[in-house]
Amino acid sequence: MDFACIQVPWFAIAVARRDDPRLAGRPVVVGGSPEEHAEVTACSAEAMAAGVTPGMSLRRALALCPGAVFLPLAASVIRAEAERLANLLRERSPAVEEVSEGHLHCEVRGLAQLAGMGAGAYLGALQESLAGATGLPVLAGAATTVFAAHAACSALGLGFRVAGEGGRPRQAIVVVPGREREFLAHLPVEVLPVEPAMHQRLRLFGIDRLGQLAGLPLSALQAQFGPAGRRAWELANGRDDARLQPTAAELRVQEEVELPAPAVCLGALLAGSEAALGRAFGSDELRGRAVRIVTWWAGLEDGTRVSRRLALREPTADPRHVLFVLRGKLETLRLPAPAVRVGVELNGVCSEYAHQQLLWAAGQGRRRELDEAIAQLHARAGEALVFRIVEVQPWSRIPERQLALVTYGS
Amino acid sequence: MVENPGASAGARNLRFLNRPRGLAVEADGEGEPRAIAWQGRFRRVTAIHDRWRIDDEWWREEIARLYFEVELEGGRRLTVFRDLVAGGWFLQSYRAPVVTAGPLGAGGRTL
Repeated sequence: MDFACIQVPWFAIAVARRDDPRLAGRPVVVGGSPEEHAEVTACSAEAMAAGVTPGMSLRRALALCPGAVFLPLAASVIRAEAERLANLLRERSPAVEEVSEGHLHCEVRGLAQLAGMGAGAYLGALQESLAGATGLPVLAGAATTVFAAHAACSALGLGFRVAGEGGRPRQAIVVVPGREREFLAHLPVEVLPVEPAMHQRLRLFGIDRLGQLAGLPLSALQAQFGPAGRRAWELANGRDDARLQPTAAELRVQEEVELPAPAVCLGALLAGSEAALGRAFGSDELRGRAVRIVTWWAGLEDGTRVSRRLALREPTADPRHVLFVLRGKLETLRLPAPAVRVGVELNGVCSEYAHQQLLWAAGQGRRRELDEAIAQLHARAGEALVFRIVEVQPWSRIPERQLALVTYGS
Repeated sequence: MVENPGASAGARNLRFLNRPRGLAVEADGEGEPRAIAWQGRFRRVTAIHDRWRIDDEWWREEIARLYFEVELEGGRRLTVFRDLVAGGWFLQSYRAPVVTAGPLGAGGRTL
């Protein structure tokens, strides 16, 4: 057991049903109210059974499924829940890849032995701990390859039932090492990570299971589906050398400063902001790197908070530059109550950022001084020491004919 | 003020850049590089990312080269070529020619 796949099927719907249990068993459509000119972003299995699909207009969804509950698109809530699930998994695995919201792959090699448990017990405990912490219907699959783990978990989500203790369906499956191909053969083609249109075409060809697909000649699949066909054939035959691409946690640096006295005036807010920016840019995490996004906030006396987000046109590592941009924002800000603290969060961190300076930026006078200094250098050394790069035959296919050095001043 | 040293301008003062540097390469039976002497020791070629051929100047001293963009163990990427006329392996970085600037368009022939 090297890799695990963790999924919450119909993630947005699952979050909505957790927050409002009355939605259980009812058709649910996420995207807004039917009067809006918007699209369905997610829908429950009950709504799908009535013909609703993501991407369809909300009006059409209402026509197909008049009894559906229409929920607003709470993208930030869904994103926050997905982040929470990913962070919980990061506490339990050294490498976690987020495939989509509520769908994660992680490495679990050696973790069961470390916990002194069998593979099945470990995966079951992992699934239960995630489900318990989030309150969501988490499913888990594990195998020696990423695809087999993904397929096992997806199969559970598609209604593939494996009886567990006491006859209850299992929420976690471990694929026995060496029997991946045998296990995959029974699974529906929908577990393949390809476009839904390819699933449909495979079904139209009468290919419902991975075992049927694995038995076809590779050339036939390539001819029909191109590179996706080849990939599907390899996966169906248990050939998968994919490795995880763990998502790097985004670096965020936060600093906060208590104001000496409650303040509403611009000068005091800027002074506090300057101190917070100075500390944030001087932190060890940044080490001189530039940032693109700055979030400024003020904690008010009444316990509320006012924030402003600055997206810089060019990344900067200079707190004075940020303060200059911030001043423009704060000049128009009217605080509903005096601020007692101000803070900044820096993110969108990139590498060191600077502009290439021109050597001759100081004008012709500077250029003449430089010419004379180089001529003097050549005279003193008795040979050319400073050169210019010139294009000789930039169109040549022979690399050594394209560029040459010529003596500076010749 | 320093007087002009009197160095004459022209082709004599040109020093062409990016000239090929000889390289010790161990090739396999098909003539593809298998290991390259780099920084004092032979390093295994882990991947050949690209290969292309240049044939040019067949009307005077013919140039025929087979270029390989290779990755060595440790992740270092190099561009090397085998001289198909005189033999031998060389290291040379490659810059695509500027197609519009030349009097003859793209120049020679690439396979």
